[in-house]
Amino acid sequence: MALVNLQYYAQLREQAGTGSEQVLTGAASLRDLYEELRARHGFSLDAASLKVAVNTQFCAWDRLLRDGDTVVFIPPVAGG
Amino acid sequence: MKRFAIATTAIDPAALREGLRDPGAGGFCAFEGWVRNSNEGREVDGLEYEAYVELAIAEGERIAEEAIARYGVSAAHCVHRTGDLKIGDMAVWVGASAPHRDEAFRACRYIIDEIKHRLPIWKKEHYVTGETSWVACSHTYREHEHEEGGHPHHGHAHHGHAPAAPFMPDYSRQMRLSEVGEAGQARLAAARVLVIGAGGLGSPVIAYLAGAGVGTLGLVDGDRVDASNLHRQTLYDARDIGKPKVELAARRVAAINPSVQVRAFAEPLHAGNVVETFAQFDLVLECTDDMRSRYLSSDGAVLSGTPLVLASVYQYEGQLQVVDPKAGLPCLRCLWPQEPSPEAVGSCVLSGVLGPVPGVLGAMQAMEALKILLDLPRPKNATLALVNLLDNTIQHLGMDTTAGCAAHGGCTHQARAALRRAQDQREMDLSFHSLAEAVAAGFQLVDVREANEIAALPLPGVPSRHVPSGEIAVHAQVLRNEGRYLLICASGRRSAHAVQRLRAEGVENVYSLAGGLAALSLRKAS
Ligand SMILES: [Zn+2]
Repeated sequence: MALVNLQYYAQLREQAGTGSEQVLTGAASLRDLYEELRARHGFSLDAASLKVAVNTQFCAWDRLLRDGDTVVFIPPVAGG
Repeated sequence: MKRFAIATTAIDPAALREGLRDPGAGGFCAFEGWVRNSNEGREVDGLEYEAYVELAIAEGERIAEEAIARYGVSAAHCVHRTGDLKIGDMAVWVGASAPHRDEAFRACRYIIDEIKHRLPIWKKEHYVTGETSWVACSHTYREHEHEEGGHPHHGHAHHGHAPAAPFMPDYSRQMRLSEVGEAGQARLAAARVLVIGAGGLGSPVIAYLAGAGVGTLGLVDGDRVDASNLHRQTLYDARDIGKPKVELAARRVAAINPSVQVRAFAEPLHAGNVVETFAQFDLVLECTDDMRSRYLSSDGAVLSGTPLVLASVYQYEGQLQVVDPKAGLPCLRCLWPQEPSPEAVGSCVLSGVLGPVPGVLGAMQAMEALKILLDLPRPKNATLALVNLLDNTIQHLGMDTTAGCAAHGGCTHQARAALRRAQDQREMDLSFHSLAEAVAAGFQLVDVREANEIAALPLPGVPSRHVPSGEIAVHAQVLRNEGRYLLICASGRRSAHAVQRLRAEGVENVYSLAGGLAALSLRKAS
């Protein structure tokens, strides 16, 4: 299990109803974590249309989770 | 269109007069302005006109249109000279043809008065003594201001403005910065910057870059001002509703800093011209709220080698990214390789936004632009900045330049493929004002909507066949027959997709109605 800090932006923030949260997860990779969260919050976007960053660096979805990671999910936005 | 022109060589009144012939016109009136040998008591032996050409043309067109609408004349035209003129040369020609003489006289008078008053044209007089002086062509007495209200003899209160001295920009506050100075100011004056989108992000961008003295500003926007724009698009006010943003923005630039040259693009860029357009600028700022435009700009920047400052907003937050192909910085596709569907990305219309959010992000874009133009210190790493204006944080997320496009042939390869796809799409998408127009052009209509949609909104009075988009491949053989087919759906998306599938099957004579039925009803409304 890993305790991770999550940050949500744009639609994800709206759908999660919060900009950040801390979760204890058994998910091994970022992809598994996102699917877990998607089921919980009902996120409409799939992982393929998002970018993920860990500890302020963009990462691949198969990166393994470590205790204390700060994970940010970022959808593209188009408003102007 | 084209009712106003700037001429650099002698005006030919005979040709202009012929251009105004109209079978319904019973009268024609022309006014010619000539260079005379004295002004306010001084002997003049010639003069020189200098115009802010783009703005003069836009404003001249508007004046001629106003005259046509105001007096109901059949046609009107005006030409103004620039360059060196001698005594007796024609400086300006105005003509109007109308059913009756009175309208023609009045339209002519209106145009010349407004031209004198409103056009950004400066006159430099050469005196016999050898001296010269710039004279502002404004503060005219305008007859038509006194036509209405019924008191023609009591309305002679002149505007009383002293003739405006030619404007001299003062950049002292920014030149005082040791990193700017005269050299920096000269760099700005030599810079050509393209701003795509004159909305919430574009408003601060355009205002700051004009104020800073960027030599040439290109402005791209195809929209008109809507009342719902005013909470965030600070270039405009309530009087501007319904007017084209690009023209208003060009006037705003001229008002802030008349020394800035404006190049206005009233149509959005497309895959066919984005690269050559970008190549004419030193820097591009993408300020639209349109995901397709953002990807197009990224591809254009990659292929032309022009740096691009991207920003976008969502509710209370925004994203900022600098794409600099020559510095090896990743493009938009490096982050999100596929353009997301419009439903996935949200918009100011659907998701809402507070006005200052694009204001802040636009100001940040302007700051990045000035840093790039002045070569000020800035982060060299590839990052996406996430700006959260609820908790006032800015997060810089570092990008791995070996991931993204680099893993799929590189940004250039990806951009080229994307532009080719967009070009193909452009060739397949056709725009019409009405379905009847498409039928008249020889197209057979194929409605690819579902039966229930057709029942709810049948095609109005034109023959069509019905093939739901999901079954289109089955009908490839039938559509292969001679003739040209226009596929139609509600938004243009399903019909475009169906056309792509048919083309993949080798059916070449099929096209998609651009924007679908929604675009048609929009045209009708506007
Ligand atoms: Zn790329």
